[in-house]
Amino acid sequence: MQRADTIGLGIAGAGHVLLFAALSAGWLAADPLTLDSAPIEISIADEVALQSAAPRIADAPPPPSGADQAVTEPDPAPPAPAARDAVPEPTPVPTPKPVAAPRQPAKPATPAAPPKPKAGGLKLDTSDWLKPSAGANPQAKPTDGAPASSIGPAQQSALAAEIRRQIKPFWKAPTGADADLLRTTLAVRLARDGALVGDPQIISTTGQTASNRGQVRLHQEQAIKAVRLAAPFRLPPDLYEGWKSLSVTVDRKLSQ
Amino acid sequence: MTMPALALATDAATLSPLALFLQADIVVKAVMVGLLLASIWVWGVIIAFWLGAGGLARKCAAYEKDFWRSEDIDGFYDKRGKEAVPSARVFAAAVSEWRRSTRSRSVDREGTRDRLSTAMASAVSMEVDALADRLNILATVGAVAPFVGLFGTVWGIMRSFTAIAAQQNSSLAVVAPGIAEALFATAIGLFAAIPAVIAYNRFSHRINRLEASLSRFADGLYATLSRELERA
Repeated sequence: MQRADTIGLGIAGAGHVLLFAALSAGWLAADPLTLDSAPIEISIADEVALQSAAPRIADAPPPPSGADQAVTEPDPAPPAPAARDAVPEPTPVPTPKPVAAPRQPAKPATPAAPPKPKAGGLKLDTSDWLKPSAGANPQAKPTDGAPASSIGPAQQSALAAEIRRQIKPFWKAPTGADADLLRTTLAVRLARDGALVGDPQIISTTGQTASNRGQVRLHQEQAIKAVRLAAPFRLPPDLYEGWKSLSVTVDRKLSQ
Repeated sequence: MTMPALALATDAATLSPLALFLQADIVVKAVMVGLLLASIWVWGVIIAFWLGAGGLARKCAAYEKDFWRSEDIDGFYDKRGKEAVPSARVFAAAVSEWRRSTRSRSVDREGTRDRLSTAMASAVSMEVDALADRLNILATVGAVAPFVGLFGTVWGIMRSFTAIAAQQNSSLAVVAPGIAEALFATAIGLFAAIPAVIAYNRFSHRINRLEASLSRFADGLYATLSRELERA
C-alpha cells in the first residue's frame, strides 16, 4: 500500500502540473473572433465636423480631347461583327465603324493594325464627333458645384444629428392610442445667426390611423413649438449652406 | 517544443491560472496553494486506491471459489495460505487459531468456536480498516475544500472592494480582475472537492461490498470449522 501511495501521489502531482501548465499556456484561451466576412470600417458622425471632407474639384481646364480619348471612349457605335473581322478595305469614307478595331489591341486574332495609315482621317473625324459631349461636363462643374463641395455626407449627417439634439429638449410627443406612429416633417428656414426665418411649415404627417386622428393636430403644433423654442440654433456658420433650409422630422423616437 | 512557443499567458484577460494566481492577495494565494495540494493529495489517494484495491473483490471471489473446491483445508492452507488477498488473511487467521486451540488433547469446543469467530471477525475488520484508511481524507477534502475556496473568494472580493474605495472608481476594468482572481479560489476548491466526493462515495460503496463478502466467507469458514470441531 505504501508503494501504491507514492505512485499515486507522483501521478497526481504530475497531472496537476501538466494541467496547470496547459491552462497557463492559453490552452483554454478564447480564440480571437473569426468572421466570415472581413469587418468594414464605419464612422458614426456624432459631432459637427468643421472641416470639409468633400473632394476638391480641380480648377484646371480639362485636358483636350484628342486621339487618346477617342480610343478609350466606349463604343461610339454598336460594333458590327463585320468590323471586328477587320476587312481592311481601303474605303475612303470616314465612318466611325473602324474605330472598333483599334479598341481591342490585345486580341491577336485581329489583323487590324494595317489600317493605321488611315489614322489621319479617323482622328479628325472622331474628335469632332466627341467634342460636344466631352467638353460640356467639366465646364459645368466649377460654376454650380462649388457650394456643394464644402458639405459632404459626413457633414450632412452630423448637422442632422446636431439639429435633432438641439430640438430634443423641447420636443414633447403627445400621448394616446397609436400616437407614437406619427411623424411630422417640417420645413424650416434659418438665418445665418441660427434664428428662424418665418414660421416652420408643415410638410406632412405620416403614420395617421383612425385611432390617432385626434392627435395629428396636436402633434404638428408640438413640433412647431419645439422648433420655435429650440431656435436660435447653434450650428457651425461655415456650413451655413448646409442648414439654411432644413426639413426636420420629429417622432416618438426623438423624445426617448 | 521550444520556450517561445510556450509563451505563458500572464494576461488577466485570459483564463490563465498563473496570471490569476500571481495577481492574488497573499491570503488568497495561500488558500489556492493549500487547495491545490489538497487536490493533489486527493488524486494521489484515488490512484493509490485504484492500484491497491482495484481487482481486490475479483481476487477474493476467485480465492474463495478455489477454497470451496478444495477438500483439504490444511493442504490448501499450506499451499495458498500466505497469498496477499484479504480472504487469504481471514482464512489464515482462522486456521492459525484452529491449530492453536486444537493443539492440546482435551479440546474446549465452545471456547474454540468463540475464539474462531472472534479471530475471523477481527481479521475481516482489519482488512477493511486497512482499505478504508485513506477514505477519511477524501471525505474531509470533499466537505471542507468548497468552504476554504469560498473563504478565499470572500477575502479576495473584500480586498477588491477596498481597492474600489481607495481608487474611487468602480468601473468594470478596476473591479473585474480582483473578482476573477477571487472566484478562482472557489474554482480550485470545487476542483478539489468534486472528485473527492465522487471517489469517497464510490470507494466506500466498494469497501462495504468487500466487507460483506468477506463476512460471508468468514461465516462459511466458521460453519465448516465448527463441523470439523464436532467430528474431532
